Amino acid sequence: MTAFAIEFVPRDLYWKTTFYAIQAEKTGFNTLWITDHFNNRNVYVSLAIISAYTDKIRLGPGVTNPYLIHPIVTGQAVSTLNEIAPGRVVCGIGAGDRTTLHMVDVQPSKPLSTIRESVEIIRGISSGRKMKMEGKIFTVLGGKLNFKVETKIPIFIGAQGPKMLALAAEIGDGVLINASHPKDVERAMMFIEKGVIKAEKKLEDLDIAAYTSFSVANKLEDAAKAVKPVVAYIVAGCPESILGKHGISMETATKIRQAIVQSNWKDAFSYITEEMVEAFSICGTPEMVVEKISRLVKVGTTQIVVGSPIGPNIRKSINTIAAEVFPHFMSKEGIEGD
Amino acid sequence: MTLEKIVRRIPSSSWEVTSERLIDIVLNSKHANKMPSGLAKTILYYWQRDQLASEIGLQRLLEASLHIDPEKTVEALKELGLQELVTLLESH
Repeated sequence: MTAFAIEFVPRDLYWKTTFYAIQAEKTGFNTLWITDHFNNRNVYVSLAIISAYTDKIRLGPGVTNPYLIHPIVTGQAVSTLNEIAPGRVVCGIGAGDRTTLHMVDVQPSKPLSTIRESVEIIRGISSGRKMKMEGKIFTVLGGKLNFKVETKIPIFIGAQGPKMLALAAEIGDGVLINASHPKDVERAMMFIEKGVIKAEKKLEDLDIAAYTSFSVANKLEDAAKAVKPVVAYIVAGCPESILGKHGISMETATKIRQAIVQSNWKDAFSYITEEMVEAFSICGTPEMVVEKISRLVKVGTTQIVVGSPIGPNIRKSINTIAAEVFPHFMSKEGIEGD
Repeated sequence: MTLEKIVRRIPSSSWEVTSERLIDIVLNSKHANKMPSGLAKTILYYWQRDQLASEIGLQRLLEASLHIDPEKTVEALKELGLQELVTLLESH
């Protein structure tokens, strides 16, 4: 069974994001992820107001990072959110977006140890335990929340490289594969299986999400125009190994990254080719995106994250997805979580 | 005439389509940042309860739309054949 999640970037006014979040819940999405970048609106403020205007959709940061936000604070934040939206909170964490971390001179060093320890801290503190740990990265000398968290908060780990994918499968409740192309997801599944074996758990117990850049419209060119800026960010932050698999040079990615850092958007977007759009997004007419999602489902994803930009007109695209995409993935009971 | 009374002149058969047009204006306007926060929260409240195409929902949407983009609002009302509303709003 395929579940559909949606991602919003809180770049928009808070009430617009909340409006779309309510629409996402009404139309049958089962999870909502809000991105966490220091230069957008704050993720937890956004989630708090969305929680107040929704009743059933799961929601959480997707993804936060432990380089700018200490995991003890993330644990506190998702635990507080769980009081507003009991049993609906999920927590996505990853090594962060290199482009925005670079803007504040933060190096995402030792990502594997950092994520492993972060998950331990978030899971520990949000389950009411008194945290005491001396890790390679973080030391907690005895932290405990002064309030009780009633339900477990599932932790999803954003991953792209082989080791992070394996770690995510080993210690996470879910994996957010940062990929839109079936080839990348299929490759990711190999490493996820390694992690699952290491943890001696079943693959079926793991929620495996393809965190896609998504754009749907009635005309392909409209969908493509909307998705190009997002693809530029993805290429700029993509590891060389993955770029190489799609025939994209590191030199081009560096040029795009430099243009973004200098806010030179015209230059950054001018490097984006049709091949890049194909490799790093689900983009097209409703029929085209249905075909692409089907390929992702076939290689083992259990959740499709409809990520930014969603489409040239977010409201219309959400309605299009509900009317023309969901029916292809529905069981008799409706789509999962509906 | 108050906004409440003006909205009552919209035939109920046009509530849905009027609501859709006003929502589009509010969400897609370049001046969306002019939306008063209190009014935004009221609209979200009615949206959550599926009442944006009701009389009260339309009142708040029209208020927001006029606040954010009066020209486009008037244009939309004319296109929807609600000329009487435009006249009333102009004398409002």
